[in-house]
Amino acid sequence: MAAYILRRLLSGALTIWFIATATFFAMHAVPGDPLSNEKAVSPEIRANLERRYGLDQPLVRQYGIFLGNMLRGDFGISFTQENRRVNDIIREHFPVSATLGLVALIMAAVGGVIGGSITAYWRNRWPDHLLMLLVIAAISVPSFVIAALAQLGIVGLNRVVGLPLLPVGGWGTLSHLWVPAFVLGLGTMAYLLRLMRSSLLEIMESDYVVTARAKGLSPRQVFFRHQLRNAVLPVVTELGPTIAAITTGGFVVELVFAIPGLGRFFVQAVQQLDYTVIMGTTVFYGAFLVLVVVAVDILYGFIDPRIRLHKRAVS
Amino acid sequence: MSQSPESPLLAIRDLQVRIGPVRAVRGVSLEVRAGECLSLVGESGCGKSMTAMSLMGLLPRQAQLSASDWHFDTLRPGSFSARQWQQFRGEQVAMIFQNPMTALNPTMRIGAQITEPLRAHRGMSRKQAQREVERLLERMSITNAAYRARQYPFEFSGGMLQRVMIAAALACEPRLLIADEPTTALDVTVQAEVLALLDELRRERNMALLLITHDLGVVARMADRVAVMYAGEIVEEGSAEQLFYHTAHPYTEALRASVPTLSHGDRLPAIAGTPPDLRSEIGGCAFMPRCAYAMDICRETPAYYPLEAGHCSRCWRWHPDCPQRGLGAGDHG
Amino acid sequence: MNSVAAERFRAVGAERQPEAPAEPRPFGLLQVLAANRRAQLAAATVLLLVLAALLGPLLWQQDPAQQWLSQISRGPIGAQTVRLVVNNERWQPLSPVSHLQSPEANTERVRLQWPAVDGASRYRIYRSDQPGGGGLGIPLAERSQPWFEDRLKLEPRSYRYTVVSLQEGRPLGERLTLELEPQPAIGWFEAQLQGLVPEGADPQSWQGRQLSLPAHPLGTDSLGRDMLARLLHGARTSLFVGVLAPLLFIGLGTAYGAFAGLAGGAIDNALMRGADFVIALPFLLFMILLRVAFGIGPGESGIGPMIVAMVLLGWPGSARLVRGQILKLRGEAYVNAARLAGAGPIYLIRRHLLPNVLPVILVSLSFAIPMAIFTEAFLSFIGMGVSPPTPSWGSMCNDGIKSLLAHPHELLFPAALISVSVLAFNMLGESLRDAMDVKLRTEPL
Repeated sequence: MAAYILRRLLSGALTIWFIATATFFAMHAVPGDPLSNEKAVSPEIRANLERRYGLDQPLVRQYGIFLGNMLRGDFGISFTQENRRVNDIIREHFPVSATLGLVALIMAAVGGVIGGSITAYWRNRWPDHLLMLLVIAAISVPSFVIAALAQLGIVGLNRVVGLPLLPVGGWGTLSHLWVPAFVLGLGTMAYLLRLMRSSLLEIMESDYVVTARAKGLSPRQVFFRHQLRNAVLPVVTELGPTIAAITTGGFVVELVFAIPGLGRFFVQAVQQLDYTVIMGTTVFYGAFLVLVVVAVDILYGFIDPRIRLHKRAVS
Repeated sequence: MSQSPESPLLAIRDLQVRIGPVRAVRGVSLEVRAGECLSLVGESGCGKSMTAMSLMGLLPRQAQLSASDWHFDTLRPGSFSARQWQQFRGEQVAMIFQNPMTALNPTMRIGAQITEPLRAHRGMSRKQAQREVERLLERMSITNAAYRARQYPFEFSGGMLQRVMIAAALACEPRLLIADEPTTALDVTVQAEVLALLDELRRERNMALLLITHDLGVVARMADRVAVMYAGEIVEEGSAEQLFYHTAHPYTEALRASVPTLSHGDRLPAIAGTPPDLRSEIGGCAFMPRCAYAMDICRETPAYYPLEAGHCSRCWRWHPDCPQRGLGAGDHG
Repeated sequence: MNSVAAERFRAVGAERQPEAPAEPRPFGLLQVLAANRRAQLAAATVLLLVLAALLGPLLWQQDPAQQWLSQISRGPIGAQTVRLVVNNERWQPLSPVSHLQSPEANTERVRLQWPAVDGASRYRIYRSDQPGGGGLGIPLAERSQPWFEDRLKLEPRSYRYTVVSLQEGRPLGERLTLELEPQPAIGWFEAQLQGLVPEGADPQSWQGRQLSLPAHPLGTDSLGRDMLARLLHGARTSLFVGVLAPLLFIGLGTAYGAFAGLAGGAIDNALMRGADFVIALPFLLFMILLRVAFGIGPGESGIGPMIVAMVLLGWPGSARLVRGQILKLRGEAYVNAARLAGAGPIYLIRRHLLPNVLPVILVSLSFAIPMAIFTEAFLSFIGMGVSPPTPSWGSMCNDGIKSLLAHPHELLFPAALISVSVLAFNMLGESLRDAMDVKLRTEPL
């Protein structure tokens, strides 16, 4: 198991290096150097930046400086918000995105598992048809449209109740969190629901479930001890890729709901061509996603004894 | 042992199972006595597994079942509630399946899977159950029981897993064990060991055994009595000896002929044709389209005609009025 | 037991029933369509969308970039004739009136005049667009003379004007109200802009003439552009990106994967390691990054860079898939048998490889299309896709969301088109996958 974890971590580090490199060269493919854009940068900052990033040096040298900075976790200073370090921006805005994403992920996983169980249990009856219809809607309607519709819904609700029950946007209290998190998690929830449904349907037909019933276990025991655990396994493996979807989905949701998260900040930086912020957040996000996928892989190893024990046997 | 005069442990008359348009079981009647091994024989799709599942109350949701005079000792399974079925399964009747590799939960320790019936029916604590597991595994000749109980199914071989299945099935000392093709998925050498173990346990506990198989070799070795099924009904029933030495139904005869032996020539005779479509009504004898002895009268449904004590055949050849009574009289077509 | 006549026991021999012929499994596009109602619906929808994109702009020849200043954010309207109103000089009424009135109210101007109130030093004018409602509405202006000309965003709908008399800033009891519905009209400036009047024409001689304006069956957007024309041109953009990008990256991926799989050994290993790296890049993040890197010059639509970015990031999926299929096939007994029987590489590829790889490619293509449509919409929505004024469904959503509460149609029409096309392509893909029995992992977006 230890060797397995080590191998995963190593390939993760390699991937992060590749992401950083790709980011660097993509940014340097921009015609001219990043500073020659028409957005006015004051001469002192310009000189400072040129020195700092070695923009007057050859590309290979710049790449070395860049990698060194990244290794030390130093992402530089924002072009458009003078004197603001990218590290500070990430430190300030990432917790917001992480909170939103985590709540969305929990909602998606719980909703997906419960919904998938419901549809599988009542297969081809009205709860199944109803939920699958919602799933199809959630998969084919873009997230920004769902976010906009949710805002319309909040406005309508507040009007019907006659009180500002839920805020339309913003951040700060728990009531700001629920609707955006739900909207953000919806697509993932739909995806996990379908996954859970098909995995549960397969397991309901499996021999060991018949064995469990033949032992005289109650339907509840059969479901929780034999079906649920095995059906959740494929859902757990999908959590890694899912987090990538939730992270990038967060850009739009934060934009629509005016949430001061890193995603909204990233989109703004992109629109303003704030190169250091773009590079810093891209590498940060990339590293974050890679680490999450590695963590989920390792977690999966602990849940599935077949993997856990095989890896131990190999090591 | 098979001729014990006491009343049967399990009796069911005229069992019918419908799944949608398919009449999977068409009027099966069975009796099993304590300590007896009854074997249900037939090719796949003939309804033998459906019969077993009916006896366990484990038919698929969309299946419809009807039966009369259904007894299990003093119990009446025909009128069980879902809760009563739960208490009945595992406690009174247990079942083992064809493929032990898929019949065990891959993510649960062996020990926990064996003790599930004990904890469900006897309310045993984890500690008590653990001691019981070791005793059971040792009885199944699995060495190093305490260690193996903590392992997972993928760490066991097929034969070992079938022993684990048997251990789990017998944990609550049921009075009837239904074994659905218990050795089909196993290596030939392991088959013999598992069969020997089953036979031993049956005698030791005076347990009834309903053995479902398509392997006549297994039947010859294990069964006190045999019921041959074809197209959802029993076509011949009798003691193992009667069936093998006085075969009384053309289908049984054809089955026997298709078992490979040294005396056959270079070609193994197969039964020509295919079993009937169970979705449509079958008028007359179901085997007639494939039968070498088919007669005009076979277009009408035959009854069970007795040959001698405990042996009967659902074939017009044994009707008292039939002029060329019996099989093997020569007119093989 | 009843006795039976002896002749009934006459042997007749086995009466074999003819075996029912096995039902053929549907295979291929046409058979799938014939067998599956849902697939039919999906295919018809796809066909309709493609036709709309190809023929729509030819049949509906309005310019998607033309801005009707007089018709901003309007719901569906038919063709109409409107008055040309030339509004060049300040208005001053000639004679006093006896009550609040507004002759010839139109959407270019509403001229209000009322009798002077004794003791009032000023008048405050309110406008409400809910004539039945209780409130005064928005205050428009304060005047010392008893007249006022309203030119503020007038639409052909009912308004209620209220004039409150003020004395030293405090309202007197007196209120005058008037309900009216302005007639549709077009101003001189806009009429010139749209080429409805000849250049150099004399404004005064055109005053009050009737001009005919085109219909807007789906209304207009917040810049007064025709929604139908924009949706049809947007279909071209969205479907072009949505179909061309997957075609390109699946083609590239197939070639790459086939080469790696056929070459095998160290080459295969190195090539696939490269593909692994590209797969590890977070897709949307790098789409944005590449879009920034490519930049967009003035006057460019941004469609090209978007397709190139999608191809750069999208190919490894199908490369893996195709390589996996080839490796699997190389191990199959029937392929080895054919090779042992002396079959050449061309024969093997044509006879065994293509029939096995083609369905996989086809199915992954039909799943890649909705994903590409989504990606285009996402990027355009955050302003990183096509650049204005090029219409695409995503950029139309971006425009529409700003006026969501007041004019939801500007968001809902393009959003519905995205959803319907994504749904149709997904359903088509699922039918194909089920029919061809292809096992694919579908990634969440």
